[in-house]
Amino acid sequence: MQNAKDSFYMALRTRLTTVNPERTILLRGAVRPGILVEEAEAPFSQFPNDVFVLRWLGLAIDMDLASTMTSEQCEVVYQTCGTQSFGGLDRGRALSAMDEELMAMIQPFYTAKLNYVTTPPSEMLTQVFWDEPVFSPIVTQRDQLSRSATVLVYSYQEQAE
Amino acid sequence: MTATWFSAPAPVTRRVRAFFAPVNRAAQTPILFDPSEQGQFNLDAPPAPWIDLGWVQDFVRKAASKSSPLMTGIPAAPLEQVRETLEAQVSLQFLSWTKLTMGLATGSQHMNVLVPTSGTTPAADGAQAAAAVTPQSGSTSTSIPMATSDAAKFAAGAIIAVDVDYTGQTGYVGTPVAGTYVRQALTDVDYVRRITFNVALVSQATATGLTLAAPLPGGAPAAGAKVQAVAGFVDREGGSFYQEWSALFVMEGSQGERIVFHYPRLQTMTGAEEAISSLNQKNQSGQSRVLLKGLFLALPVTDPLDGERVVCYRSFLPAANALV
Repeated sequence: MQNAKDSFYMALRTRLTTVNPERTILLRGAVRPGILVEEAEAPFSQFPNDVFVLRWLGLAIDMDLASTMTSEQCEVVYQTCGTQSFGGLDRGRALSAMDEELMAMIQPFYTAKLNYVTTPPSEMLTQVFWDEPVFSPIVTQRDQLSRSATVLVYSYQEQAE
Repeated sequence: MTATWFSAPAPVTRRVRAFFAPVNRAAQTPILFDPSEQGQFNLDAPPAPWIDLGWVQDFVRKAASKSSPLMTGIPAAPLEQVRETLEAQVSLQFLSWTKLTMGLATGSQHMNVLVPTSGTTPAADGAQAAAAVTPQSGSTSTSIPMATSDAAKFAAGAIIAVDVDYTGQTGYVGTPVAGTYVRQALTDVDYVRRITFNVALVSQATATGLTLAAPLPGGAPAAGAKVQAVAGFVDREGGSFYQEWSALFVMEGSQGERIVFHYPRLQTMTGAEEAISSLNQKNQSGQSRVLLKGLFLALPVTDPLDGERVVCYRSFLPAANALV
């Protein structure tokens, strides 16, 4: 299951560098694409703005198939206050831009499953695939707009897992 | 130990893509699909002459062939089965309205409403059309050179129909796709351009000709073809003509596997019908999408491999590394 989670994250991260290479974050001294996995970072007191944060939530398993299928619920959370140069008046546009980037990152709805424990990562036999995201309503907190999108990520357990 | 295979469960797929190709009605020759050579084709660039009709929904195949037991003995018991009838149907909903999807979802011929000349008598199929324009030599499926005075009659964003004049011919007409069957000679010189499937959108109009947004379905215009502007499309409930096309339906699985349903001959079974789909399930009286419904009867071909009569081929191309 961890390989599927890693593969999903890395697929989105790689696609983000094409969709919007300027969306980055300085984290632990390194400039990275502006997407991270909450459970793989130090705990946040609050989420960073203008970055996609992946949270892994639910898990379901179907063991009646030829290969066990897992379904993992991923919530993608993102928020923005707009830009300083516009005094935050562009926060709606900034959030719309992130909506569009997420829609672009999510397609195509599959990626190869890789094992990132090995160096370099080794390609496995199956693919990870997912559904269209379900977007939540915007939440407004003073000058901050936030939204989340939920994606069900499916994968098959392989013999080596 | 390194695993080199996996046990693949039933394919998981999101949607179905439809491709159609014209049957040569006069020669009764369908278009064949070879899964060995064409099975992994790029869905965005299907091999000629297949035309991409996009994603479809509510795709349902229904095998209506009937078998019955051959009974022998006392008391009678089945000795074997025999196939009494061979029949299959396909139903689906097209997610877009185009010339071809409308034509396929229509029980009879599908017509182009040609832009009329001024002061003509109204007609249900469109009034007398403005005079057709003759292209200059060198036309291709996406480019139609014209004299400057002729090109000035068209603007970017216009729809055009490209086909020959009607000169009294009977039988199947339309180049190269048969748009209808004419039983007795007619008088409308524009009739072939009214029923032709050779239509396209003009993306650019210059003093030297027209550039098309997508290739003409029939390829480069035939000798003698002329161009007329199209205002829209019209079809009728009734008539005696049945559309017949070869069809290909492709399901792409989550692991890269592919299921392909190839119907060499599909004929439209019903008249034009629409399905209404509400955009918001919580507000059924609000905005709704109008989908074209298609219901088709599969007709048989004789497979040259063994002489069997069949109506459909189902191909399965497994995922890489999947046990079979």
